[in-house]
Amino acid sequence: MPKELIRLSDCVVKFDDEIILDQLNLYINDREFLTLLGPSGCGKTTTLRIIGGFLAPTSGDVFFDGQRINDLPPNKRQVNTVFQKYALFPHLNVYENVAFGLRIAKVPDGEVHQRVLEMLEIVNLKGFEKRSISALSGGQQQRVAIARALVNRPKVLLLDEPLGALDMRLRKDMQTELKRIQQELGITFVYVTHDQEEALAMSDTVVVMDGGRIQQIGTPEDIYNEPKNAFVADFIGESNIIDGVMRADGVVEIFSRRFQCLDGGFAPDEPVDVVIRPEDVDIVSADEGQLKGTVTQVTFKGVHYDTIVDFYGFKWLIQTTDYCPVDSHIGIKIDPDGIHVMKKSAYSGMFGDYSSYSEEYDEIGDATMAPGEEDSGDEE
Amino acid sequence: MKSRRSVGGRFLIALTFLFLYAPIVLLSVFSFNAGDSSVVWKGFSIDWYVKLFQNRLIMESVYTTLLVSILATVISTVAGTFAAIGLFGLKRRWRSPLMTVGNIPTVNADIVTGVSMCLLFAACFQGWSVFARWLNGVQDVVELPTRLTLGFTTLLLAHIAFDIPYVILNVSPKLRQMDKNLIDAAQDLGCTWMQTFRKVILPEIRPGVVSGALIAFTMSVDDFVISYFTAGSSTSTLAMTIYGMTKKRVSPEINAVSTLLFVTVLALLVLSNVLEARQEKAAQKKLMLQKTTEYHPVKPPRRAPAVTKRVWFRRAVALVSAAALLVVTFALATATSAQRVVNVCSWGEYIDTDLITQFEEETGIRVNYQTVESNETLYSLLKSGGGDYDVIVPSDYMISQLIEEDMLEELDYSQIPNFSLIGEDFKHLPYDPENKYTVPYAWGTLGIIYNTTMVDGEITSWEAMFDEKYAGQVLLINNSRDALGIALMYLGYSVNTTDEEEIRQAYQLLSDANDKGVYQGKVMDEVFQVMEGGNAAIAAYYAGDYLTMLENNEDLAFVVPEEGSNWFVDAMCVLKGARHYDEAMAWINFMASTDSCLANLDFIWYGTANTEAIEQYPAYYAEAYGEELDNETFRIIQTPPETLERCEMYLVLPKETRDLYKDLWLSLGV
Repeated sequence: MPKELIRLSDCVVKFDDEIILDQLNLYINDREFLTLLGPSGCGKTTTLRIIGGFLAPTSGDVFFDGQRINDLPPNKRQVNTVFQKYALFPHLNVYENVAFGLRIAKVPDGEVHQRVLEMLEIVNLKGFEKRSISALSGGQQQRVAIARALVNRPKVLLLDEPLGALDMRLRKDMQTELKRIQQELGITFVYVTHDQEEALAMSDTVVVMDGGRIQQIGTPEDIYNEPKNAFVADFIGESNIIDGVMRADGVVEIFSRRFQCLDGGFAPDEPVDVVIRPEDVDIVSADEGQLKGTVTQVTFKGVHYDTIVDFYGFKWLIQTTDYCPVDSHIGIKIDPDGIHVMKKSAYSGMFGDYSSYSEEYDEIGDATMAPGEEDSGDEE
Repeated sequence: MKSRRSVGGRFLIALTFLFLYAPIVLLSVFSFNAGDSSVVWKGFSIDWYVKLFQNRLIMESVYTTLLVSILATVISTVAGTFAAIGLFGLKRRWRSPLMTVGNIPTVNADIVTGVSMCLLFAACFQGWSVFARWLNGVQDVVELPTRLTLGFTTLLLAHIAFDIPYVILNVSPKLRQMDKNLIDAAQDLGCTWMQTFRKVILPEIRPGVVSGALIAFTMSVDDFVISYFTAGSSTSTLAMTIYGMTKKRVSPEINAVSTLLFVTVLALLVLSNVLEARQEKAAQKKLMLQKTTEYHPVKPPRRAPAVTKRVWFRRAVALVSAAALLVVTFALATATSAQRVVNVCSWGEYIDTDLITQFEEETGIRVNYQTVESNETLYSLLKSGGGDYDVIVPSDYMISQLIEEDMLEELDYSQIPNFSLIGEDFKHLPYDPENKYTVPYAWGTLGIIYNTTMVDGEITSWEAMFDEKYAGQVLLINNSRDALGIALMYLGYSVNTTDEEEIRQAYQLLSDANDKGVYQGKVMDEVFQVMEGGNAAIAAYYAGDYLTMLENNEDLAFVVPEEGSNWFVDAMCVLKGARHYDEAMAWINFMASTDSCLANLDFIWYGTANTEAIEQYPAYYAEAYGEELDNETFRIIQTPPETLERCEMYLVLPKETRDLYKDLWLSLGV
């Protein structure tokens, strides 16, 4: 049974009547890698700042190890942060940056030296002690920032979009490395990102947020396979979200056709949102298909083709290794475990249609999405 | 083509620098002039620098200036830096308007700032006095002073107040450039607010703090207007002293002190630049070294108790030094009140300053010696309550006005035995008929100064002042009383006439001459430069000043015209409610003594009323300079009685006549 370390209970943050966080309830276990995932302005950074102590919630309580810590200043918390733009001290070299927290804590020089070198080795920066910060690459600065936080042996490490400014390759490397460090040191990581892939790859628990509220908490698999509403389904991976009606347990009706599914527990004839992941659709010949449609667009993606298919005016994204030319008529088959049924929510009808496919795909796939936007959105 | 353009460009640059630096170069060059002119070069000497360091007034004001500037800089830099950080931490909605409001003092007219501070201090003192009187009334344990005055403390407060915005202005951009996350990062790593400030914020904004401090210091040293209104009578900054000294003209001593000031500022600037460059170099060197050598910890691990002790030690040191700073400030501010003091206000270069030292040594009374530039300024200063003086030395007509308005205290002549040495001719004069308020300080006559090489023959009449023959060669004195007075005398009327017709006639005379282009311009102290340089033929000015000019231009001559002239007396009086009445009596008695009068006569070349001094001066001169006193010179210093008979003293004019003077003077466009 993992031990609970941090609990946010009914936290509300308001800036001049604007609600940034709305009744947030969240607990974080010891040694957990928890990710706060969401688009800009969803409140994830604000949540992190509450845990870090840089922001007091307008109402609600923050507990650390069972103690209420609302009024505890950041310097007294057993928490360290890796900031979005690293926030390294430009007037100190690598060694002194990492040693900063230990010196403030009046750790004896000998121990400082040992711990700093040890930490620099962990982040693969051995031999960089005397470099000035400005002489480092982005990735190296990132490692210094991590070392500077971790050298203090915090119970929790907070990371605010730490990889946001790195290029694709470096991000992937650092993801693995962060996970390794977390497991090696056995401490809690609270990680903020807007990149769903990153979240799925690293986390034990993912918290999907939007509009200052938690949309879903779960393991990466839960979040991906069993999204709670259209927002989560759309934000995590690609989804076709279609209006459906639950005719009985295990039977859902889409486009007036009945499909077998694994979901149940709905009222008879309850309108629902149905999620079908692009990779869960099999393309068959038109007469064999449960549904028939026309291909309107095909994009080659390497592993598969992104194929947009028009079903009765509603456009689906299907990822398939079979090439179907534009304007060809095809049929599709969906296995029961490829269908996920969700209750209707405020997000219903907002997502899941691929009529404006190209732009949306680009936007989500954009790795260099400006991290600064969220910053200003949350703080000012 | 390109090279020609660059030649033109270089020429322009040279011209720009010439314009920028010509005045300073000229000033520096003339500070080494052997003569005392700012126009005529008489050879190289460092006399003025020697004199400068012997000039008590200047040295004292240099000390005051440095002290107030340094204290104000330190305090305002600390306060301004924290204020900037505080403003930086605010939300933008509040920050912008607050910053704007905070910056207003930097663009506000100094005069407004100065006057308003003066008013504020006066109001506070008023409130304090009510409070102190009440407190003294209800208890006997502590006796609070009931009367506070402007002085070093108010000067310092004013300087701090106007320096702070400059510091904020310099620090704010550095804060904005700083990554805001650094502050969070430092706190995240365990820093308290002060630690964050010391270890992270300060290193980041240091250049801004340093430049803010430098500008604050420069502003403080430079300030005249605000100091003038807040320093009161007992304190005087360098700028105020220089201004007081220019009443007569820019003396080479001022050139010397300005040169030193310029050099000091230059040195400071160079020093800060060199330091910065060296720091950069050192940082680079360190970087290179560090790349090649491994890190070896040298210090053994320190035990925790030692660390705690060190913190307490540091805190104690900080506390003690803060306390020391406060005590020093307070001590300096109140040093004067612990000692016997007399506050004297007089004209610039109107005393041999050795006399002040001598008086202090003899009596143990400290002299705060201040200067103002004219009777009118003195009057308005007194009216505004800004002048907390004991002894003042106004001219005759101003004395009558002050007596009329009950602003003078009667003197206790039993404490001024030297009054008996004053000649009978100088007692019971029209401005103080019963001789209850005054002891004469110096006197002189108005006359015509002319350049013998530029006029034909001798000048004996005021007519020369209106003669078309000298068109463009005559300097009109720039005050209505003297200018109209000259015309009245030429017309044969009294200088104190209240007959509007007569005054209008006098004005017509001036106006006609002006229309004919007789006057080159209206001058007061510029008269020295113009006449010494031979740039005008005729001017009306005071006898003592003529002798000063003669030293630099031997072609000049002086005459008290046959129609008669004005003679004036400047006399020492004590202000109503003076706080140091007995000290004032001692000062007046000292200044009336024969020795003082001799020294002063020799220094300022204005006449004295001390009979013994008049008799002894030729002998004194012979002993001091090893040559006989030229009789002609002595007659100019000490106008003989037969000439004096032709002269008339200015009396205070009724209000309507004063207004008429003012109107006519304004309509005369020279």
